[in-house]
Amino acid sequence: MITTVTLNPALDITMELNQFVPNEYNSVKRVSRIPGGKGINISKAISVFDLDTMAIGLLGGHAGHFIAEQLREYGITTNFWHIEEETRTNLIIIEQEKKTHTLLSDPGPKIAKHDLDRFIAIFSRVMSQSKIVALSGSLPKDVPDDIYRQLIEIAHEKNVQTILDAPGASFEKGIEAKPFLAKPDLRASKNRVFNRQVDSQEAAINIAHEIVNRGIQIAVISYQDTKDIIATTDKVWLAESIKQQAVNIVGTAEAVIAGFAIKLVQEKKEDIADIIKFAMACGLASALTDEEEFHTQKDVIKCLSCIKISELK
Amino acid sequence: MKIKDIMLKNTISVIPECPLEEVIKIMAIQRINGIPIVDNQQKVIGFISQHDIIKELLPNYLGIINSNSFITEFIQLSKKLKEYANYKVEEFMKKNIITINEDDNEVMAADLLIRNRIHHLPVVRDGYLVGIVTMRDLLKAMIEEEDEDEQDRTQ
Repeated sequence: MITTVTLNPALDITMELNQFVPNEYNSVKRVSRIPGGKGINISKAISVFDLDTMAIGLLGGHAGHFIAEQLREYGITTNFWHIEEETRTNLIIIEQEKKTHTLLSDPGPKIAKHDLDRFIAIFSRVMSQSKIVALSGSLPKDVPDDIYRQLIEIAHEKNVQTILDAPGASFEKGIEAKPFLAKPDLRASKNRVFNRQVDSQEAAINIAHEIVNRGIQIAVISYQDTKDIIATTDKVWLAESIKQQAVNIVGTAEAVIAGFAIKLVQEKKEDIADIIKFAMACGLASALTDEEEFHTQKDVIKCLSCIKISELK
Repeated sequence: MKIKDIMLKNTISVIPECPLEEVIKIMAIQRINGIPIVDNQQKVIGFISQHDIIKELLPNYLGIINSNSFITEFIQLSKKLKEYANYKVEEFMKKNIITINEDDNEVMAADLLIRNRIHHLPVVRDGYLVGIVTMRDLLKAMIEEEDEDEQDRTQ
């Protein structure tokens, strides 16, 4: 079982219309309501491969019930702690004529200590039935920056392999517990890690080395939309997506994490370069679809030939 | 039809030390009528339903629900609930519970639900809670399966 943690989920409502005119009646052409949040997106990508995945975290109100029900429709097991306040909603307005894309982001609920304690208790219990746990995404208000460190420590006590994909202080505190794989969310932290700018391949390699030197087995740095640096204790690779035009980069990072989790849970003795290639193909397949995740396993297989992996000396 | 294909994949559960008040709140907020009790390893060790709580606190209440005297008993139930709010759920839960394996089928689930006069069956894999199945899930699955047969005939 691959468990994913989403502490700050969202209901993403997208409304498409020809043109948005303020102070007028606007007729919407298409509406979609999709559960969002990094951990949730990872579970959705894993479920495409028919593997057992459980989504846990914090949900609240009608939006929370809707998200949990939708996830179960996808075949994902849920075990969320439900809070009193409503889960946040993101409203995305797409104007087809002007080709604009406007996001109205809800600040989201406050999390009481009691609720966080209950979530940690659920996390601890479900680790008994998990092989891998992916901890992903930003934190809601009032949740301490070291929450991922606490959760990784609990997971390690139960021999569960851990993956951390988070921004800023939650990432830097999280890696103190030495997750198996760590990937800083550069987009959410404005390309900064350890107070340094990651604006070149060289900077990405340096950051990857620093993460590995802190006791992490695999460091992944997505420093450009089509380029990633992956480092282990003794090797560094450059992974590039070639010959394809991305249509939606939202959700690609989660698909990459899902790819690593899928390969790690299968416990096959595969070459690390092949594991990286598969994970990157998951990311590319996601970028080529207009939704957050790829739809079929074939989408990923087709992308394998578009990933170039080179070992850097 | 395997149970894992028709069960509700919600593994919300509580531990035996959980106070009764919190169990009732979880049932209300999660919109469920019963909840599995698990140990620290997420293995199923008990079950409690709203029905079990009422029966435990006021054994006569369910027998007189159709008579006028239920109004006075209702006040009694309210008092009892407040009195026992902080008691651990392990004091009220069913301990000899019936579970079903995720690879068993719908016929076995229906048989267990009817013969034991219960409404929920926790679904397990190696003892770990992986879902819950009710008669409603079975009926839904049976209706949908019939539709698929119909589709096969028309193709």
